[in-house]
Amino acid sequence: MKKAKINNKLPSSFRDPSGFLFYRNNLLYRQINIRYKDNYNLLMKSGLYDALIKDKLLIAHKEISEQKVENKNAYKIIKPELINFISYPYEWCFSQLKNAALTTLAIQKKSLEFGMSLKDASAYNIQFNKGKPLLIDTLSFEKYQEGKPWIAYKQFCEHFLVPLALMSYNHIQLNKLLQIYLDGIPLDLANSLLPAKAYCKLSLLSHIKFHSKSQKHFSDKKINMDKHKMSRLAIKGLIDNLETSIKNLKWQPSGTEWANYYKETNYSEVSMQNKKQIVGEFLEKIKPKNLWDLGANTGIFSQIASDKGIPTISFDIDPAVVEKNYLKCVKTDEKNILPLIIDITNPSPAIGWENQERLSLLERGPADAVLALALLHHLAISNNLPFDKIAYFFNKICNYLIIEFIPKDDSQIQKLLLNREGIFPNYTKQDFEHTFSKYFIIEKSFEIKDSKRSIYLMQKKNDNS
Amino acid sequence: MKNIIYSNQYIRPFVAIALLLVWPHNADAYLDPGTGSYVIQLIIAGFLGGIFALKIFWKQINLFFIKIFSRNHSNEKSKNQ
Repeated sequence: MKKAKINNKLPSSFRDPSGFLFYRNNLLYRQINIRYKDNYNLLMKSGLYDALIKDKLLIAHKEISEQKVENKNAYKIIKPELINFISYPYEWCFSQLKNAALTTLAIQKKSLEFGMSLKDASAYNIQFNKGKPLLIDTLSFEKYQEGKPWIAYKQFCEHFLVPLALMSYNHIQLNKLLQIYLDGIPLDLANSLLPAKAYCKLSLLSHIKFHSKSQKHFSDKKINMDKHKMSRLAIKGLIDNLETSIKNLKWQPSGTEWANYYKETNYSEVSMQNKKQIVGEFLEKIKPKNLWDLGANTGIFSQIASDKGIPTISFDIDPAVVEKNYLKCVKTDEKNILPLIIDITNPSPAIGWENQERLSLLERGPADAVLALALLHHLAISNNLPFDKIAYFFNKICNYLIIEFIPKDDSQIQKLLLNREGIFPNYTKQDFEHTFSKYFIIEKSFEIKDSKRSIYLMQKKNDNS
Repeated sequence: MKNIIYSNQYIRPFVAIALLLVWPHNADAYLDPGTGSYVIQLIIAGFLGGIFALKIFWKQINLFFIKIFSRNHSNEKSKNQ
């Protein structure tokens, strides 16, 4: 039997002693430890695994039989299906987090049917694959013990219910608290941030306010807990109520910065069509393996890539347009586009233990191609970034760059320059081309019809010389 | 209002019930379920289990009448044909 050493254990895979993820020869595997043997066998033999795969709720895997890892704890090695791009809950819009929550509850309901239960309910265990949220942790199941409450109830509340309630009742940007609180938003914090009207809902009153009070009350108490149990009916009632609570949380995207961008821009019908045509031709020429659309708005140009079968991440800073983009993707059963909330001037950092648990955006790259349409002027003028820094950044994150240059006399830029006319003397087409040529080979460029804007196709220079 | 609802006097009976209801910690669990979370879950789920049973019962009654209605409806249709 061929033996192989685990040479690259994933830094984020340490919390659950049931097993861990590791890379070998650039392929991702999961070790299942002996202590998880019974639960793994139950998952596979009870029919739960097949039922979850059929409903596209769990990541599929293959057992690797010919290789045994040199590790006395190992029971089995499995090879999970690969996810194109790992995203985090603090990058999701409202409906993405909501659907991830409902997926977790659907899995818990299904697990109970097969005599199992989720032993954790972390939002990080859910990833979007081909447009749909699914559980990526095969080791999240344990045998359901009659009478035992749901062990992951607290985690579910702090990872899903609380951030959704805060986004719905307080401010849409409050999902960013998940970036600070890696183990979920503390209930006492949520309690202090939620307005009184949130507690008109009995479910939020009990799952958040009373829950928080109970945590505080029992924080320093040791209790003999061996008298009464929680019936299966009660646990089903709890899951059903959590599901209803999540479904009832709403957020209507409106009134944010970019939600009406395409209605307010100075693109004519002709220039918009021409821009789409140029982008389509460039994509056709380079045929990228994947694409990051930076400043994607509602994903009009991401759609061109998707139609060509290119896996595309649509990044935007505005939660409203990301929400619109995601809802459109859900409606059209879009499989190639993943919309995410990212501020490209302050992208997600590496966080967690040793800054290695959750990867920074750049660590999750580079992309084969980047689409940066109507973005450059925001970086250069609104964010005061010199062209050199922008070109260097793009050189780090992609092999091909499709970028739009908008001249200073464009009305959109005039708005940005209203009170700062004289401070960007180097914002010229000539300077842009000169600076980007240090980092990229400019392969093609077109002026967009009926406008003063241009689009460039560039290929990365590897030596930056 | 806040003081009336959350005064010790109000919460004490719940704590007493909770102390009788709680379940032993699973020594193998890697996730800390939190004592307070266990207690409140038992209390909430106690009520919700009852509501859930009624909900299921109501759904079955509904289903029963829907079946009867649709059967009558299809019988009438076949008679007319």
